[in-house]
This record gives sequence, structure tokens and C-alpha cells, in this order.
Amino acid sequence: MLRVRHLEISDLITAVDLADGRRLPVRRDEVVRQLRDSGDEPAARIVAGLPADRDGTLDPDAVDRLLISVHTELQRLSEELRIGNRLVHLLGPLFTAIRADGGHPGPYRLVDIGCGLGYLVRWLAATGALGPDVELIGVDLNAALVGEADRLARAEGLDCRFVHGNAFELPEAATVYVSTGVLHHFGAAALAGFFRTQAASPALAFCHFDIAATSLAPIGARVFHRARMRHPLGRHDGVVSARRAHDDETLLRAAAVPGMRALLYEPRGLSNPFCTTLRPILGVRPQLEPPLRQALGRASRRLVGPEHLGPVRGEATR
Amino acid sequence: MTPAVPLMLLGLVDAAFSGFRAYAGRDARIRKARGNLRAAGRGLAVGAALLLAPTLAAALLLATPDRARTYAALTSGGWGFLLPLALYAAAVLLSLAVYFTLPFRAGTLAMVIGLGPLTLLRPVAVATACLAAALNHGGAPALLVGAIAGAAVLCVEPIVYRRWYREVQ
Ligand SMILES: C[S@@+](CC[C@H](N)C(=O)[O-])C[C@H]1O[C@@H](n2cnc3c(N)ncnc32)[C@H](O)[C@@H]1O
Repeated sequence: MLRVRHLEISDLITAVDLADGRRLPVRRDEVVRQLRDSGDEPAARIVAGLPADRDGTLDPDAVDRLLISVHTELQRLSEELRIGNRLVHLLGPLFTAIRADGGHPGPYRLVDIGCGLGYLVRWLAATGALGPDVELIGVDLNAALVGEADRLARAEGLDCRFVHGNAFELPEAATVYVSTGVLHHFGAAALAGFFRTQAASPALAFCHFDIAATSLAPIGARVFHRARMRHPLGRHDGVVSARRAHDDETLLRAAAVPGMRALLYEPRGLSNPFCTTLRPILGVRPQLEPPLRQALGRASRRLVGPEHLGPVRGEATR
Repeated sequence: MTPAVPLMLLGLVDAAFSGFRAYAGRDARIRKARGNLRAAGRGLAVGAALLLAPTLAAALLLATPDRARTYAALTSGGWGFLLPLALYAAAVLLSLAVYFTLPFRAGTLAMVIGLGPLTLLRPVAVATACLAAALNHGGAPALLVGAIAGAAVLCVEPIVYRRWYREVQ
């Protein structure tokens, strides 16, 4: 029997040269084969139906149009699930803590890594929710999404900008790095590298939101994506994302990098899975934890460090 | 009293929501109040046109010789048709009230267990309404008019989507 590996179609149908950001051609039959090998026949059929040229190379313009369309639907989910409010619920207190920490006068900069169409950055710019002293920047590996994010921001006269770049190279310095729905794209090993790079930068904190890995997540994602996404690619990747979501332990261990205090907000057991679709893993400079907890008030009881996990398995028997 | 008026109102409100849903996920701008209103208006217009079909069907049935009996069947069938739809509408209204008045966690709950699944259940609600129409002494005439009305409301969203929102705005 085939072992099912969870692959997202959107990760496979675009490729860039990480050295120079150049778009690389993608062969349709190669993606179809990968999906079949992973045991995901429905996904293979979706890709087999995408337009390709005579050599079987996926049509890059059609792929861009499709991804922009799917990300526009994805934005609807973020809007309906009030991801902006969810973020400000934590980032507001985080910036309060940063402002209170005398050593860091503004202006500050928030960089959204893997911003897609930049909904979060544009929403923050439109609402001014973090204050006028926070510059807003989005970064994404996909040039077409970055271009569309920029077009949308210009169309509404929003004060923010978008940059084409790789999450692991931090093309923009930041006070706080954030992301939504990106962590599950990275394997557990890459995750630690991702956090380490940010900890090694002058950033004061990171706050990465991803799907809460609860037993409800896959079925919830199936129902919700079925109800809200039209293209089968969006429905497929939405469900796979929920299956790939990292659990609390993986996130807390990966974020425990030198120079940062790892904190998980709304871990399992301290949250209602029906109310928490996305929840963040944070890394904050250690001196920021007390003012952050103070600014969070009662909500800080939902913020836990690696000690919440108990001893590493096997440690107790050692 | 005839159930035609509340049914028609419910159908028109549903059509406005269908217009909104056809537009949702097609425009990534942040400020969409105008777009939402326009989409709801388009849904309403398409719904008003489509709901002429069950109205016409009922009128044709009433033009038959046994008018009084058909009228009685359509009336009681209409009340039967209304009941499941009213329950469905109440669930939607409750979810919307929670979504718009309570903080984001409760809003998420209203979306995840309320509004999201309720969208998927629309055809089930319509099928249940048709069955209830037939069973509530409406017989074949009420089933026929109910099925046409149900098909009409279910068609609004795909028509508005195809006509105006097939492409990302
Ligand atoms: C599921 S989407 C989430 C988009 C957006 N943050 C949102 O919440 O709608 C994941 C995004 O991460 C981007 N991404 C994946 N790997 C990346 C990398 N190494 N560097 C930058 N962006 C990356 C993808 O291009 C895609 O836009």
C-alpha cells in the first residue's frame, strides 16, 4: 500500500531558483508523478488538468492566475475568521511591551513572511491597528502574488509595501516578524532554521500563526474549504494544510532558539478547538516577556513556554 | 392568511445573501462595503426574476377547474414548506448575530459550526422544505411549486457568479 505523504499542489506547481529568485519551468507530468507517488490521486488529476505547452511545461501565466484566484478565496477565509483581530490581540500587547522597553524607540517595522496577497499587511495599513509608528512590509517567494499585493495596496492607497524574497534569507530587517498559514510549508527541521535566522537578526520578536493541530482541524478544514473555496486546488490544499500543521510540541521545541524565549499562545488544553483555528508560536527577547504578559492581562494565562510540555520523552527515565 | 408573502420575502432575502456569496472571495481589496452592496443588489435582482417561475407555476395550477382545492393544497403545502426554511433562517440569523456582536473567538465559533456548514446545507434545507410541503397536505401541486422555488433560490448564486464574478476583481 502507498504511504500517503501530504503535499500541497501550490507548493509543486511553481518553482524559483533560490539563488536569484528566477522563476523555473515546472513539468506537469513530473508534478503528477510526485502526487501519484505520494498516494494522492485526486491531486494528481487536478494538476493533470492544468494547461501546459507542447513540451508539457506548465503555463506560468495560467498558474499565476490560478494562484491569485485561490489566494483571493483564501483571503475570504482570513476575513471571515477575523485573522486581523486575532493578530492584533497579540501584536498590540507585543508592541506595547516593545514601546515600554526604553531601549527601543520607534519607528518599528513589522514584516509578514509568506504574505501571499498581503491581506494582513494591507488590513493593518487600512485599520492603523498597530499605530502610525509601525512600518508594514510583506515578503513572499511568489513574484506574482507580491505583484498583486502591491497592485491591491496601490488601488486603495495603503501605506505598506511588498518585496519578493525568501523566508529563510530575511530580505527585510524587522522589529517583529510575523506570518500566517506558512509554518506548515516547512518541515520540522527547516522550522528550527527559520526561527534561528530571525533570532540571529536584530528583531525583537517573532509571532507566527498557523493552523492549530487539533483532531478537529482536518474535518473542520474539509467542511469550511468545501463551503468557501471554489477551485478544487484551494479545497485540496486547505485540507492538506490542516493535516500538515505542526503540533504544539514541535513548534515550542523548534522556537526554543538562542536569544529568544519561545512561547505558544492557546496551546491544546488551554483553548477551545472550535474557537481557535490559527494560533501563534512566539519568540521574544527574554526581557520582553514580563511586559508582554502585563500588557496581555488575563489572556497571558494562555501563553506558555516549553516548560508547559514537561520533560522531553525519555528524559524522565534517564 | 397565505404563506406566499413570507415565502417570497424569505426568497428575496436569500437571493441578496446569494449575491453576496457569489462576490465573496473574488475581490481582495480591504474596503468592500460598496462591492458587497452591489453584489447583494445583483442577487436580489436575479432572485426576483427567478422567483417569477414558482409564482407562474402556482398561477397556472390555480387556473385549473378545481381552483379551491388546489388553493387549499398550495396554502397548507406552503406553510409546510416555510417551516424548515424558517428554522434554517433562524439558525443563520443566530450565527450572524453571534458573529457580528461577540468577540473574535465566538465569531470564529459562529463561522466554523454555524455559517460555514449552513451554506453547505442549503440544498438539504430546500429538499426538506419540499418534502414538508408535500406531507403537510400540499400533495403534488405544492411539491411542484416548492421544487421550482427551491431550484430558483439555489440558482441565484451560480448565475450571479457566472455573470459578474467569474474573474477576480
Ligand atoms: C498558505 S499561503 C499563506 C499566505 C498568506 N500568509 C495568508 O495567510 O493568506 C503560504 C505562502 O507562503 C509563501 N511561501 C512559501 N515558502 C516560502 C518561502 N520560503 N519564502 C517566502 N514565502 C514562502 C507562499 O508563496 C504562499 O504565498
